[in-house]
Amino acid sequence: MTAVGIVANPASGRDIRRLVSGASVFPTAEKASMVRRMLTALGSVGVETVLVSVDLGGISAAVLRGVRNRAAKETPWPHVRFVDDDAVTDSAQDTANAVRRMVAAGAKVIICLGGDGTARVATAALLAGPGCDVPLLSLSTGTNNAFPQMREATVAGLAAGLVATGAVDHGIATTRAHALEVRTGQRTALGLVDVAVSTEPYVGSRALWHPDALTELYCTFAEPDATGLSSIAGLLCPSPRDEPGGVAVRLCPAEQAPTVINAPIAPGLVLPVGVVAWRPLRTGELVEIGTTRGVVSFDGERELELVGTTGATVRLAEDGPLCVDVTAVMSQAARAGLFRSDRPVV
Amino acid sequence: MTPTQPAKATSGLDQKALLEAYRTMRTIREFEERLHLEFATGEIPGFVHLYAGEEASATAVCAHLDERDSIASTHRGHGHCIAKGVDVKEMMAEIYGRVTGSCRGKGGSMHIADLSKGMLGANGIVGGGPPLICGTALAAKHQGTGGVGVAFFGDGASNQGTTLEALNLASVWNLPAIFVAENNGYAEATAATWSVACDNIADRAVGFGMPGVIVDGFDFFAVYEAAGEAIERAREGGGPTLIEVKFTRYYGHFEGDQQTYRADEVARARASLDCLKQFRERVTASGRLDTAALDGVDGEVAGLIEAAVAEAKQAPVPTAHDLTTDVYVTY
Repeated sequence: MTAVGIVANPASGRDIRRLVSGASVFPTAEKASMVRRMLTALGSVGVETVLVSVDLGGISAAVLRGVRNRAAKETPWPHVRFVDDDAVTDSAQDTANAVRRMVAAGAKVIICLGGDGTARVATAALLAGPGCDVPLLSLSTGTNNAFPQMREATVAGLAAGLVATGAVDHGIATTRAHALEVRTGQRTALGLVDVAVSTEPYVGSRALWHPDALTELYCTFAEPDATGLSSIAGLLCPSPRDEPGGVAVRLCPAEQAPTVINAPIAPGLVLPVGVVAWRPLRTGELVEIGTTRGVVSFDGERELELVGTTGATVRLAEDGPLCVDVTAVMSQAARAGLFRSDRPVV
Repeated sequence: MTPTQPAKATSGLDQKALLEAYRTMRTIREFEERLHLEFATGEIPGFVHLYAGEEASATAVCAHLDERDSIASTHRGHGHCIAKGVDVKEMMAEIYGRVTGSCRGKGGSMHIADLSKGMLGANGIVGGGPPLICGTALAAKHQGTGGVGVAFFGDGASNQGTTLEALNLASVWNLPAIFVAENNGYAEATAATWSVACDNIADRAVGFGMPGVIVDGFDFFAVYEAAGEAIERAREGGGPTLIEVKFTRYYGHFEGDQQTYRADEVARARASLDCLKQFRERVTASGRLDTAALDGVDGEVAGLIEAAVAEAKQAPVPTAHDLTTDVYVTY
């Protein structure tokens, strides 16, 4: 049995950035439609079973309706099994639980629908268990999305299917991403794109949109065409996604800064950000976070309150999630003629 | 390139503001917990719908409001009244139906109002509040006061025509109005997951051309930030916002509701999510407030509620003559 897991986060794309930065709303109906399009694609390349997460937000319900109403003349879908072993908590725990269950059930690829936050939770669940070598394909349905890709679900489904069935070799199909590991006390947390430290005191509504409060920024990669906090480094000292090493930037209020970058720190927000200094961040290097009271954010979301009693460190780790490279998979499929059939024409 | 500056950080609450927020939340909790006990004695006329569990919403929203602003509430209105500054003793007397009450004992729990405080009233009509707010927001806009109107309503009211019309009107007129959808999961005994056709009430905002956001209603700081941004935007002419606050009510729809329609979610919320508990843990861990100061507030609030109940019980009820007073208002 070749199985693929699909985890769809019902809560992504709903946070305060709709108010403070005019970020887009990603409707539940479209998330469900993406899952349905992926089922078609996965079925077409020979995936037999698709494990789908359950939620109270309406995605899994819409997928179930799709399964029941699928017309006989349409391309058959793989067998769909809803992963309902755990009670739904309406929190990030649901994503982690679903990923763990899917890995245990033998999923060969995990497709994750959400934003940077969802990809982070899915990654942590994969890396913490036996799923560390299960490839992740992260599709964007969230807000900032420096990590997940904006792709048509059909093509993503095809690529995931080809990896799951082994039609395209892992060595060609996947790359190991880096991750930023933050440790404070007994707690460890991961950032996939950026870890930022802010003097804001509370996690609050999670998003981060006051650049003058930022003091430190660490990026696994920094692309000039990114949106989000990594765009600060991307516009200052770009660091490609596929190269080892990241970037460390020290920040201060724009009015006091020797260098100011106007950066798209969130959709609809291009703001001046004060920069004190920047340098390459070596893989494996352990950096002590200098701010003792404030909040640490992961991929643009405040997660961890620093209350001055315990220090915190950040380290750029080589062993992040194993990611499906959709372009590489489809290029190889084209080279190998996997979608092609020839017959003599009389 | 002209950079746009965001509103100033809203989470920079000083010690005094934190203590005030805690006092308001604790007052609401104590008020409701006490009513839960007192109602069982049969002394209180009419119905009461308790706000316990939802304190962070009213408190964090109203912390941004002043005398220019007005709010409209619901049948579950005690928390909104307290957060907007209505006198707690007068509220208690009103619920007991005494002449010393906010409405001289003729309104009861579902009609507590104090226009001098910008509190337009609790409201027995589901979806009754949002249209009222369009009126006060229009007045504030025309008079240039910088004031805003805030309508609190529930998941049940989110399906009412009045609410949807008000959302539309507020957007068409670009009113300084904030719509706070307090989604506690149930309209009486009907689950929002069944009765609300879209999956989040906030999603409806798109159809009315305004921003819609979802916040964790157990987290005072999350609600405070979202409300602060929305209110500042409204004061500056940016128009209305819909904020969906998600949480669980600790008691039934009304006192006496057997709650056969829901499982043990209240126990879980009380144990791990409770807004007062979270607030205490976070402000003490960060050293912003100490336990002694918070305990001091608890003691003062307990005394206030005790006195409010005692005084309400001793106050006279309205007489037959009061039937014809305050029926009409002369403008």
